[in-house]
Amino acid sequence: MDIWHFTVRRLIQIIIIFFVIFTVLFLLFRLAPGDPISRIIDPDMTPEDATRLMAQMGLDKPLWMQYLYYLKNVLSGNFGHSFYYGKPVIEIISDRLPNTVLLFTTSVILSAIVGVFLGKIASWNKGKRTDTFMTMGALVTHTLFLPWMALILIWIFSYKFSWFPINGMISEDVWLDPSSGVVRKGLDVLHHMILPLSTLFLIYFGSYLLLMRSSMLETLKEDYILTARAKGLKEKTIRNHHAAPNAALPVVTSVGLSLAFSINGGALTETVFTWPGIGRELVFSVSNNDYPLAQASFLLIAAVVLFSNLLVDILYAYLDPRIRY
Amino acid sequence: MKARTIKRFLIQAALTVFLLYPGIGFCGSHFLKIGLSDEPKTLNIWLASDRWSLRVLSQIYQPLFTRDPESMEMIPWLAAQDPVYDEASISYTVTLRESKWSDGSEITAEDVAFTGNIIRDLKIPRHFSKWDFIKKIEVVDKKTVRFYLEEPMAIFADRTLTTPIVCKKEWEKIYQEIKKTDKPLVALLNYNIEKPVGNGPFTVREWKKGAYLFLEKNKHFFGLGQTIEGRVLGPFIDGVIYKFFGTSDTAILSLKKGDIDMFWWAIQAGYLDDLKTDKNIQLHFNDRSAMYYMGFNLRKPPFNDVNFRRAVAILIDKGFIISRILQDQGVKMDSVVPPGNKFWYSKQAPDYGEGLTQDERIKRAFQVLKDSGYSWEVPPVDGSGKVVKGKGVRLPNGQPMGSFSILTPPSDYDPQRAMTGLIIQEWLRAMGIPASGKPMAFDALVDQVKVNRDFDAFILAYGQLSIDPDWIRNFFHSKNDKVRGENQAGYRNPDFDRISDQSARMIDKNARRKLICDMQAIIKKDLPYIPLYLPKMIEAVRTDRFAGWVDALEGIGSIWSFCMLKPIGK
Repeated sequence: MDIWHFTVRRLIQIIIIFFVIFTVLFLLFRLAPGDPISRIIDPDMTPEDATRLMAQMGLDKPLWMQYLYYLKNVLSGNFGHSFYYGKPVIEIISDRLPNTVLLFTTSVILSAIVGVFLGKIASWNKGKRTDTFMTMGALVTHTLFLPWMALILIWIFSYKFSWFPINGMISEDVWLDPSSGVVRKGLDVLHHMILPLSTLFLIYFGSYLLLMRSSMLETLKEDYILTARAKGLKEKTIRNHHAAPNAALPVVTSVGLSLAFSINGGALTETVFTWPGIGRELVFSVSNNDYPLAQASFLLIAAVVLFSNLLVDILYAYLDPRIRY
Repeated sequence: MKARTIKRFLIQAALTVFLLYPGIGFCGSHFLKIGLSDEPKTLNIWLASDRWSLRVLSQIYQPLFTRDPESMEMIPWLAAQDPVYDEASISYTVTLRESKWSDGSEITAEDVAFTGNIIRDLKIPRHFSKWDFIKKIEVVDKKTVRFYLEEPMAIFADRTLTTPIVCKKEWEKIYQEIKKTDKPLVALLNYNIEKPVGNGPFTVREWKKGAYLFLEKNKHFFGLGQTIEGRVLGPFIDGVIYKFFGTSDTAILSLKKGDIDMFWWAIQAGYLDDLKTDKNIQLHFNDRSAMYYMGFNLRKPPFNDVNFRRAVAILIDKGFIISRILQDQGVKMDSVVPPGNKFWYSKQAPDYGEGLTQDERIKRAFQVLKDSGYSWEVPPVDGSGKVVKGKGVRLPNGQPMGSFSILTPPSDYDPQRAMTGLIIQEWLRAMGIPASGKPMAFDALVDQVKVNRDFDAFILAYGQLSIDPDWIRNFFHSKNDKVRGENQAGYRNPDFDRISDQSARMIDKNARRKLICDMQAIIKKDLPYIPLYLPKMIEAVRTDRFAGWVDALEGIGSIWSFCMLKPIGK
């Protein structure tokens, strides 16, 4: 089977899986305790108000009817309005998604680059002090509790030293200043990004380091490495051109999936740093039964993960000539 | 070498500027910066139900009448004087003062009538219950509006006339548009409005989603330079910038650092010691208009037995809860009306078990239950009068009492309520009553109590109750014992229904107060709910930039503070 047939077959699978996820999500939210109205604890909200509102939202209809109605709307590109924002959920997601992508995608790429690089060095120096130091460092930072780490960094670098802003993505002092240009505003975003990015980097680079290290150690046992040495190639060439590209394959899968999952943000990171991303919206929409917003967010994540998997598979064939579909 | 030094210097200079440049940027003259614990969801006044949106909207839209922060009496706000009641036609006539919308147009009786009519026509949730008894709204002249009621309603003056008034010019177009849709109410709620025309002290300048919401001073605000109830109104500040925080930790750090001037959220007791040591921070302690209570499901035994409920009330040591769980940052509630609501609050008799030790409470509760026919395998008070661990309690019909749950919100949602549930569990178990505190997800808890009515007992709270206590009627009237009705306990008492109906129609305030006191007495006697405690509203502000916060019931974040706050030195 060639790559085109493989891709078409996987696309059909993706559509089926997406439909299953769509249905499961719909049922999960409807069967979970509570509804959007019960969260409004207000003596002024009478039972009659609640009933009227449920009817207007279509939530009084039988479940199958709500499902068909939702399916029809989604197929026509209408994901509904958020119960709390009163806005189309697509608008809310498109407001927040770029912020999440900016922070989390940057952190995944940065962590992966540094992790792969250090993992390569650690494996090459197996058993030496460099390896021990790097492996221990990776294990320690990777196992730290993210909110704790984030708060410690905020306390030191934002509160004590005033090097970085405590939270948010932009500073009102800059953005409300009519004299601020694009560069200044861009630098402002970058300035706000450093602390959350550092937190994510510290937490995640270790996993890439350890993955790359173990993959490299396996690769270094391969016959072609022995052959390369027998040919008298330089150690650096063997490491960088023979071992590392082969060892990087599992890391590619991991990075691919991490990139896909990065669009759901990290509710904890976004909450501690008040980063206006999709992760916080997910938490809000789920805890307040904002069905349209929660469903659309999860569907988006599902779609990105499914397509990323497909991309990783195709990339595999490109990176490793031995793999053919 | 020289080139390297210059290069190093340039890199260091660039880094310094990069790290410090926000501090040399926009310096607003007198902008108050307020931290909110989340971002407002909408500025559509009809949709807004989250507290963040409501807080911002309270500075944009104003009602005809508001409350004096000290006396809590209703005073004319957009209105020029008190409403005139005509008993014969059951009508109120309200005259408006000279005032303008933020776009400079005049506020007229048409706006008031439009507000009432859109609520009544679309039956807008959370507002309609305050307007459904209005028969007709008549615009007498440009500044006079008359409301005809179906029947006399006590809440009209206190609740209906405190509805924020919207601008007809802005909303009529929307109204006509949404009327053409299949679901006009949903269309209205989903109408996106970013810069509403308002009549409050501030108006929206810019909302940068996810970052800040900037309100600037409304130069057309009617109160500007006016003296109302002896208070000279501003606003004296140029605007308010709302910033959003995902956690209290970062908000408190921002407050201490000076990034914000106020954190508009109740400060947890754990932060107090730290904040008290900061000379630039001032803490405000105010009473709240709220109720934290334990409710029972009166639809099943043993909770349908008033003596059982009284025994539970005797066993609950509210003083212990206040001192140990609330760390003395709260007050005991002995009536469903909060004690801070001075006019309507009634303390008619000592609270259950007041002044007793825990052993004495057990003895008294044991006596109450024993006299009502309850029995034990091992009674909690032995023959010599000594308190022992009770076991095997039986109902008056001889059946063993089944174990039951006290549902509470989880500790990550409200640690105080979760802990209170567990403490009450221990007090009941000491009597041999098989109770279990059960913290559960808030959604599931509300669903079980409010919708499914599948519960034994629970601890919940109403966070912001109106000063007018008409809600007592909502909570305990038998007509509200239905799905989603506020009578969660399933309490049914014809006497209470009659008196509460009477109170709803009683226009004479003092006569109504007597009825409300009677209602409180009935509830205290029958105990469908046991009012537990009321946490203090503790708020923190910086003192180095602004002064003049006005303390009031529910805290300093009232319209009065925002109208009277002045920059230091101005």
